[in-house]
This record gives sequence, structure tokens and C-alpha cells, in this order.
Amino acid sequence: MNRFYQWYRTGGVASCAALLMVGCASMPAPSEQMAVSKATINSAVSAGGNEFASIEMRAAQEKMDRANRALEKEDYENARLLAEQAQVDARLAEKKAQSAKAQKAAEVIQNDIRILREEINRKTP
Amino acid sequence: MNKNRFIPITLLTFSVLAGCSSLPPNNSLLDEARNNYNNAQARSEVSQLAPLELKEAGESLDKATQAWNKREDNDLINHLAYVAKQKVAIAEETAKQKAAELAVTNSNVERDRVRLEARTREADTAQRSAEVSQREAEEAKRLAEASQRDAEEAKRLAEASQHESQEAKSAAETAQREAATEKQAASEADLSAQAALQQAQEAENRARQLEAELKDVELQLKDMEAKKTDRGMVITLGDVVFDTNKAQLKSGGMRNVQKLADFLKQHPERKVLIEGFTDSRGSEDYNQQLSEKRAEAVRTALINMGVEAERVSAIGYGESFPVADNGNPAGRQLNRRVEVVVSDNTGNISPRTGG
Repeated sequence: MNRFYQWYRTGGVASCAALLMVGCASMPAPSEQMAVSKATINSAVSAGGNEFASIEMRAAQEKMDRANRALEKEDYENARLLAEQAQVDARLAEKKAQSAKAQKAAEVIQNDIRILREEINRKTP
Repeated sequence: MNKNRFIPITLLTFSVLAGCSSLPPNNSLLDEARNNYNNAQARSEVSQLAPLELKEAGESLDKATQAWNKREDNDLINHLAYVAKQKVAIAEETAKQKAAELAVTNSNVERDRVRLEARTREADTAQRSAEVSQREAEEAKRLAEASQRDAEEAKRLAEASQHESQEAKSAAETAQREAATEKQAASEADLSAQAALQQAQEAENRARQLEAELKDVELQLKDMEAKKTDRGMVITLGDVVFDTNKAQLKSGGMRNVQKLADFLKQHPERKVLIEGFTDSRGSEDYNQQLSEKRAEAVRTALINMGVEAERVSAIGYGESFPVADNGNPAGRQLNRRVEVVVSDNTGNISPRTGG
């Protein structure tokens, strides 16, 4: 089965190479995806991803590194896939950070309310 | 059993041989993604709060499933499944965030409500305490007014009593002044009484003295053979004092005149009137002149003896005022005379009346 797919991929790569050779870019460099992923990672870092979702952030950055290396090797398909994964990892990290912050804010307010209630109860015996 | 066990293998083999028309082999990552997706979709929180993200995750899952159905490269299927799984997680995380944000909003509302409640209670408490304070203030005001009324009453009473005391004081002062005046009047009366007493005593003394003097005068006049008449004491100097038809005093008559002079010196308050008389022999003019001369002679003698001239008066009456019958010598002798009228102690001499 693997062998079948291997062959299939090799064939694809070969056909791609053939297409490149004839001057038509069937598999272009995923520069747009790379930029989007990079921006998403930056946004996640700004949102506090390293603090609130360190695993996802590490994964995103590691995948981004690998994507960059794949890009250097002109392995564009791999680069695109890795970049995509880095993007969703970063998005998840950012969401986790945002939701953690929101939950923290909610907790702070709940605490405020509790303290207020205690004060009211103290003030009105 | 053995027969049955071979049926799927046979089928699989057929399908592989048939050119991938049968089901592709399981992909655990894809299964996990689908499982996660179904769970997320079942949760109303995620489907309601993150519908877009859930939809995106569903699309990614579809893509992965399609790739799996097409028996695409396993790495690609794994990749698509991973993306789908992460998107499900993103949807869940988004739902959590939204829920937390909703909680924040709700909590803000609740916090505002609680704060409002607290402020309302504070305001109520403040109002209650304000009402209490106001009641206390009103009570204090009432008390203050009562105190003021009391004070005014006390003031009025004090003023009244002061007025009374002032009246009493002024009455006392008036009484004191009157008493002083009376006392002064009493002392003055006392003084005047004493003075009057003294004057009375003096008057008495003087009266006694006068009485004594009068007695003395009477004694002396008696010695000079004076007679008490209506006009006072009268001393009669007989014709023996003069020679006939002469106005010259005889030496014997001088003694009587001397006594009179002594008497007048002792009693300077007394005056004398010397009256000359004759008998009826001779002319009337002659007798008048003779009587005047004789009276004048006695006066001159008294003045020569030291009696002040103004105290001695002389007058001649001629033949008038006979004291005896001129028809016989004895009577005529009595009529030839000089009478000396002595004044009272104030110097008054009653004039001779009739003729």
C-alpha cells in the first residue's frame, strides 16, 4: 500500500518536475501561506501564547522552523503543510491565551462581586 | 468462524484489486478529529458561541474525510485530520473565551447591580441616619427653644425683681433722704430749740436783770422821793432848789440833781424830761419864761455833771398844771416846782396830756 502511494507521490513529484521543466509552475513556493503563518504566530505571541499555551506555541514555532527549512530545500508541498499546521497551532495558542485571559477577568469580577457582597453584609448587620 | 474471518480479508483483497473502490484503512488521527468534532457539536455552548469556528472545523474535517475516501497519501490525510482536530480545539477554545467574555459582561452587570444595591443601602442608611439626625436636631432645637423660653422667663422675673428692688431701693433712698431731712430738721429743731431755750434763758436772765435793775431804779428813785405815776416815775424838785424869781440852783438843790445824774449814768438806757412850773403870781409870759429857765437850769446842771445832752429834754409850762391852790402861800409853794419825768428802760416818755 505504502509502496503504491510512494510510487504515486514520486510520480506526482516527477510530473511536477516535468511541469516545472516545461516552465509552468504547478507547485509554487507557499510564500503567502508562510507569511500568514508567520503573522499568526506573531499575533499569538502578542496575545500571550507563550504564557497561556506554551505547548501549542512551541509546536507552532517548531513547525514554522521546519517549514522554513523545507522551503529552503524547495520542498514546497511540505513547507505548505507545515506552515498550515503552524498556523492552526498558533491560532489555537492565541485562542487559548485569549480564553484564559477572559476567564481570569471573569474570575476577577466574580471575586469583586463576592467581596462587595461581603462588604454589604458587613455594613448592614 | 474461520470461514467468517476470511470474509473481510477477502472483501478487502477484492476491493484493493478493484482499484480502491472499497473503504480505505482507518486513520486514527482522523477518527480522533471526527470524535472531537462530534463532541463539540453536541455541546450547545460550542455550537452557539462558536458557530463559525465549528463550521470551519467541519469543513476541514470534510476535506480530510474526502482525502481519506480518495485514499490520498496518508501524510496528507494526517495533515488534514490534524488541522481539523486543531480547528475543533480552536472552536472549543473560542466558545470558552466567548463564555468567559459573556460572564465578564454579565458579571459587570451584576457588579454594577451589587454596587447599586450597596449604594442604595448606603443611601438608605445615610437617609435613616439623616432622619435620626434630623429628629435629634429637632429635639435639640425644641430643647433649646424651651431653654430659651425658660431663660426669657427668668430674665423677665429677674427684671421684674430688679425693677422691684430698684423701686424698693429708690423708696429706701427716698425714705433715707426723708429720714435724713427729718433728722436734720430734728437736729435743726433741736438746735433752734436749744437756741430758743438759750434765748429764753437769756431773756429770763435779762428779765431778772431788768427786774433787779428796776428794783434798783425804784430804790434809787425812792431815795430821790420819786413818785410812781401813769407816765412813769416822776421826781419833783421843790422851790427850795431855787430862789424866788431866780433860775439859779441852790447848793442844797444840787445834791438832788447830783443823785439824778448818778442814776442816769448808771442807767444809760433811760432818758429824762425836765418840766418847769410856776405859781400864778406875776405875768403869764414871765412865768412861762421863768419855768423854761428853771427847767433849762436843771438840764444844764445834769449835762455839766456828765449826762449826755440828747438824753435830757427841758420844757416850761408856766402857770399850767398846778398841783395845789394858788390862793394861799403853801399852795403856791407847791406849785413852784420842777418835775423830772424818767423814761422807761427803752427811753420812752409819755407826753403830758390835757392842760
